[in-house]
Amino acid sequence: MEENRAYDIRSILEEMRQEYWQGLAEKVELQEELLECVTFVLGGEIYAFETTHAAEVLRVPKLVKVPGVPEFITGIFNLRGEIIAAMDIRPLLGIATAPLTAAARIIVIKSANYTTGIIVESVQGAHPLPLDMFEPVVKSVPASAREFLRGQINRDGEVAILLDIIRLLAAPALTIEHLS
Amino acid sequence: MTTKYLDIFLREAHEHLQSLQTKLLVLEKEPGNGPLIHELLRNAHTLKGSARMLGFEDISVIGHRMEDFLKEMEDGARAGDSATIDLLLQGTDAINRMTEALAAGKESPVDVEKFIAAFDQGLSTAEAIADTQGSEQEVVLDTVRTSVKTLDSLVNLLGELIINKKRFEDKSAELKELGRTADAMLPAGRIRDFQQALEEDVLYLGYIIQELHAEAMALRMLPLKTITEGFARMVRDLSKAQGKEIEFEIRGDHIGIDRLLLENLKPMFLHMLTNAVDHGIESPQERLAKGKPAKGTIRLSAHHEGNSVVIELRDDGAGMDPKRIKETALRRGVIDRDEAEMLRDEEALYLTLRPGFSTSEIVTDISGRGVGMDVVKMNIEKVKGNLTLKSQVGSFTEIQLTLPLTLAVIDALLITCGGERYAIPLSYVQETVKIRSNDIATVAGKEVVTIRNVTVPLFSLAAILGLEDGRAAISGGKVSAVVLKQRDQVIACSIDSNQGTSEIVVKSLGSQLKRIRHTFGATVMGDGNPALILDVPDIFTTAEGTSTVGLRRALQESQQVVSRGNVLVVDDSITTRTMEKSILTAKGYDVTIAVSAEDALEKVSSAAFDLVISDVEMPGLNGFELTARLRTMDEYRNIPVIIVSSLAKDEHKRKAIDAGAQAYIVKGAFEQGTLLDTVEALIG
Repeated sequence: MEENRAYDIRSILEEMRQEYWQGLAEKVELQEELLECVTFVLGGEIYAFETTHAAEVLRVPKLVKVPGVPEFITGIFNLRGEIIAAMDIRPLLGIATAPLTAAARIIVIKSANYTTGIIVESVQGAHPLPLDMFEPVVKSVPASAREFLRGQINRDGEVAILLDIIRLLAAPALTIEHLS
Repeated sequence: MTTKYLDIFLREAHEHLQSLQTKLLVLEKEPGNGPLIHELLRNAHTLKGSARMLGFEDISVIGHRMEDFLKEMEDGARAGDSATIDLLLQGTDAINRMTEALAAGKESPVDVEKFIAAFDQGLSTAEAIADTQGSEQEVVLDTVRTSVKTLDSLVNLLGELIINKKRFEDKSAELKELGRTADAMLPAGRIRDFQQALEEDVLYLGYIIQELHAEAMALRMLPLKTITEGFARMVRDLSKAQGKEIEFEIRGDHIGIDRLLLENLKPMFLHMLTNAVDHGIESPQERLAKGKPAKGTIRLSAHHEGNSVVIELRDDGAGMDPKRIKETALRRGVIDRDEAEMLRDEEALYLTLRPGFSTSEIVTDISGRGVGMDVVKMNIEKVKGNLTLKSQVGSFTEIQLTLPLTLAVIDALLITCGGERYAIPLSYVQETVKIRSNDIATVAGKEVVTIRNVTVPLFSLAAILGLEDGRAAISGGKVSAVVLKQRDQVIACSIDSNQGTSEIVVKSLGSQLKRIRHTFGATVMGDGNPALILDVPDIFTTAEGTSTVGLRRALQESQQVVSRGNVLVVDDSITTRTMEKSILTAKGYDVTIAVSAEDALEKVSSAAFDLVISDVEMPGLNGFELTARLRTMDEYRNIPVIIVSSLAKDEHKRKAIDAGAQAYIVKGAFEQGTLLDTVEALIG
């Protein structure tokens, strides 16, 4: 009997604990709107955009330079028979261009108008980011860069800057068309 | 009724209608041609029968009336005059419109009762046919229908397959090497067998790929006929409306052309044909007055020329008057007076291709719309084609289009420039040459070379492309250059190296890099990396504004450097050897390496060195002993020797001088400056 009672107490406690956690989880689910994002590093800071825009992540292949294009177009590469431009978007965002290391990757993005690759210092992975932690872009960021930022998500001091990738890729400067 | 039968009927009807149209036009020229009338009868009869079988009563009724008409013609009861032909063509048109409506699942646009009433009275049937003609009707029923997208991906994948084959070949070569050098532990024989088997596989794979590639390319090709079918009719109707008599001939319409090209060509031809009828061929009265036959001729002919298709459109009309063209161009502000005076007559013809030029004073309803000649020219250039104009006033006008056979695969010269590989379409390459400084002359300060007795301006390709390192690689006092040609212009461009020719698959740079100056696409090389394909017309345009490149000076400097001297470096340490060699070669000395004093003695006997640099402590003879030996040899009695050593004591330095060395450098204090200064001090 003694043991049974003890068992009951344990199970009751367990139930209570579960209820507590469940309640907590429900509360979080109710409050928290999550944004599934791919996070990566640019200029030592964490940037993010919605995973749905990222087609794949590659190691940086040999990039063939294209003469006469703006410097942010680092080069072109062959992705299974398709020629794609790789961009270093750091200058567009006013970020210093530190040399790339072996951790550098290319995130391939299929936008409405074209497929492109953006070079990042490293990729962290795909994470759900809580939207209720969303803050607007700090005013000290220059307007030219702020145009392509939606804001940042501050998770207990860990800041992920949300990139407006659609707007960035729609920027006319990113499409090159020399006059004949 | 099932769609299967409808499809069969539509296909059959298309064939008969096409045949009716073509043969009626011939019949107009040869009114008494009995067998032809009989064939026409058969066409009309079959059409009628098939339509009735499927319950298309309206089509059957018109077909039946046409058959009656043709029967009367065959019996000689009805004259085969132009008016009758006209009516039969209208019948053909009406049925055509009805089958089109059937195919599209739409209401018939033809009021059959009205039509028959007009037809029987020999009146225009236009009113009986609703004007629903929308966009360009699509032809090509009896050919494979594939989306260009599917084709592109097929070609794309095949391109990848070719790349894989190259990798395969590389592996095979690697293995062959392995088979050659394998030591006793490796069963070399087995490796060789494997290599042979692999080689066979590669051969077979290559064969299959070639076949597949050709098939896929053929899928892209369609005969010129697919767009010219309606042309004869159009010329006929247009000329009738203008009271002109024109004979239209097509030759070589079986020639296959890339379908993407073909799509672009049709509107261009419609425009050029309309021009020929409107402005080329004169009225019969005018022609007779000029002593020409009343009937004019427009001829469209196509033939192969190397890797191109040449299409000519020639009319024996009024020709193009350079004087009038210049006047018009002046009036429209296309050129100024100075330019007008400078222009030769042949050049003046090309003014018609400039934007803002149209010789037509009156905008007719036909040539008022459609594309202008400037657009024709632009489209031709877009597909790497060429347009030439020839004309003689009062006699003829000829427009010649030279088009590539296909847009997907071209022969190219592969080169390197500024550290990257590029492909240049072979059609623009005259040759490749090696240039020495004394091959280069200057004309008004611009560098030129003489190629096949012609003075050709010389440029740096890197400078034209705007690459940071604009200097071409010079080796052995020579620089490689590619000689490019465009129409009658020739230029030479210095490059880093020539990598030979290859067939390449042309790919677009995608929608992000829509148009990049100096390039028109990319190809994927054997290693899987892309290489840009250069746009030669762009290069010519940029070259016009590029100044002299200073190549001659660079070459002269390089030759001075080359003649600086032959140095023998003797050291058993690979690090020291390599360091010394790179320091010296960077400054233009030729360096030979010896790993020991014994090795050095062997090398000095077979070559003449201007200077010897030696280590002291080496296995075998040391550096002092080597120096002493050299001093006993006639050829090396006076050749300077530098001792480089980690031994820093004065005693060693004295030993070196005693042995006959000119200088002593301590390795600890070993730095670029000291070594170079010493070498330069000794041999300059």
